Amino acid sequence: MFGIYQVFIQKDHASPHVWVGSVDAGSPDDALLLARESFLRRDPAVSIWVVRSEAVHATDYSDPDFFASESDRTYRLLTGYNKQNAERWRKYKKSLLDLERDFVQD
Amino acid sequence: MDDLRRLLYQMADDELIIGHRCSEWLGLGPHIEEDIAFASIAQDEIGHATAFYRLLQELGEGDADELAFGRPAAARQNALFVERAHGEGSYLSNPNWDWAALLWRHFFYDEFDAARLTIAAQSSYQPLAQLAKKINREERYHRLHHQTWLKRLAQTAEGKRRLAAALPGVWAEVGGLFSMGEVTPSEFFPVTATSLWSVWATSVAPQLQAWGLLDLVASTAVASASVVAAGLSLQLPAPDQDGRLGHHTADLGALLATMSEVRNSAPGASW
Amino acid sequence: MTEAEKLEQFMARIERGEKIEATDWMPDEYRLYLVRFMQMHALSEIMGALPEKEWVPRAPTLARKLSLMAKVQDEMGHGQLILRIAEDLAVPLGKTREDLVNELFTGEAKFHNVFHMPAPTWADCGIIGWLVDGAAVVSQAALLDSSYGPYARVLQRVCAEEGFHIQHGESICLALAEGTPEQRQSLQEALERWWESLLLFFGPADTTSTSAQVLLKYRFRTKTNEELRQKFFAKYVPRIHSLGLQIPDPDFHWDEAAGLYRYTPPDWSKLKLIARNQGPLSQERLGLRRLSYEQGEWVRAALMAGAQSAS
Repeated sequence: MFGIYQVFIQKDHASPHVWVGSVDAGSPDDALLLARESFLRRDPAVSIWVVRSEAVHATDYSDPDFFASESDRTYRLLTGYNKQNAERWRKYKKSLLDLERDFVQD
Repeated sequence: MDDLRRLLYQMADDELIIGHRCSEWLGLGPHIEEDIAFASIAQDEIGHATAFYRLLQELGEGDADELAFGRPAAARQNALFVERAHGEGSYLSNPNWDWAALLWRHFFYDEFDAARLTIAAQSSYQPLAQLAKKINREERYHRLHHQTWLKRLAQTAEGKRRLAAALPGVWAEVGGLFSMGEVTPSEFFPVTATSLWSVWATSVAPQLQAWGLLDLVASTAVASASVVAAGLSLQLPAPDQDGRLGHHTADLGALLATMSEVRNSAPGASW
Repeated sequence: MTEAEKLEQFMARIERGEKIEATDWMPDEYRLYLVRFMQMHALSEIMGALPEKEWVPRAPTLARKLSLMAKVQDEMGHGQLILRIAEDLAVPLGKTREDLVNELFTGEAKFHNVFHMPAPTWADCGIIGWLVDGAAVVSQAALLDSSYGPYARVLQRVCAEEGFHIQHGESICLALAEGTPEQRQSLQEALERWWESLLLFFGPADTTSTSAQVLLKYRFRTKTNEELRQKFFAKYVPRIHSLGLQIPDPDFHWDEAAGLYRYTPPDWSKLKLIARNQGPLSQERLGLRRLSYEQGEWVRAALMAGAQSAS
């Protein structure tokens, strides 16, 4: 079906698919081929998704209040705690501060 | 107490109590994605309450947490509408609750809150005006959330039946939100209950109409009511049933006992 | 290509450290065990919301109320993320989300041992955020290089959010540790209540269960139970001690020569009881989850009716 297809590229298996642009194509299969040449002439990738533009539902740019986040939300961020916690730990044992605190990295 | 402080207590207490009630649903929603979506609304309401209590703190009323947790029921100025328990059972066991009632409550309340904030944004008290402007932006998502759900549920026979069954209980006390208690119109908040009702009804009625729910709501509204706007009649509470005047139900007493249980286990301690 | 050749190629991919995606060919065994594992993970997140949500209405300050709500909301969010990818993988098995959740109620699907336990005080809520989430991050971080691509990707986000959860739990515990003697005492008692569950969390050291072997074979997981438990000790035992808290095990010590912590083994038979939903609060928590799920049935039906009329 001829139409505009939005293109999403996954550069490696650890990454999500990311939107890179769109192509005019005659069918989903055409769109996959065209996307390969339009967006992957240099960079490696492991997957392409194409989605007909009509299938994309979007928020309205003229309605910024949709995203309003006016209240203090530090309570749900790491940064809302880690400095104060670190100061408190300091009182218990100075050497603890040297411990690697990033659990995700190891 | 002056009108400004009374007004701020009304706003802070409404937001705290409805936020608390909303948080009781956390983890019990009908659909996982929706549970997550509604949980943000509960957080927003508590966040707004916190901001209003801080304004009171700046006015010398005391510590914001103490204002939220420490005041007895008779000192609370929230409307009865927000304090009612969700139904039988509790958030701990056998919550025999109704999601249709929850949606009605939040739809009516957040429409009311948006109307009140729009007027508060014109207050001569600048800290309130600025805060109201900020907070009202967040109401956009709340209203959209409730609108989307009511519209969806009204499209199915079972949804409509549930909404109809839940409506009378919720509607019975909606007028209490509009009572201004002892607050008289002033530069701080220059409108009366009836004009606030007009703003609200003018926003609510066409939405209900579009979802095919207006007749249901209009017929639930009391015939004896004095004020009618957009086909919806306002019934203000009798003074001895007006939460704004400190008259509350046993539901609020139980809520406050739960809310302050941990805090009271070590009075004055830091948490 | 024969099934045997497909399997051979599949195993070669696994051994090269390649990621498997939902649409790839995979042996039934891989699919079945993976769905089971992710289903348990997702349901544990969803059931894990319950012990903490009990404390949201009682949180002692506005800030604590907010942070606990956000934390429980995240747990539900993790449940959602993982349930979604489990659903995708379960499609060829003819199962939907509804089926995956209902298996919780029939006992076919399990949820994690820690969430069968009571959380009777505010300090328990702190210990859950700090140490139970700490244990969860240790085990989840070890799955970040899982052979199943969608799960590994979702876990990146889950682990990042768990970082906030641990700081949130730590903050509650630090405040109690610095507080009145009664507050300190409640923290110590909560640690005593949770210690055995934390040991049980990682599973038996010498596990030879089929499921553990299958998951290791396919490199869905790469670390053993004991390796993870030792990692947890290394992170948290110094902190527990520095707060002046006592680990409720007189034989607990660091064995310099062996390079590991020695501990009195927990009563492993409790894990078997819990797996049969015979833990202290198994039935209450399942009952609450079942009731809310049944009550929400008409809402989900309305959602599906909408989906049908839109298509």
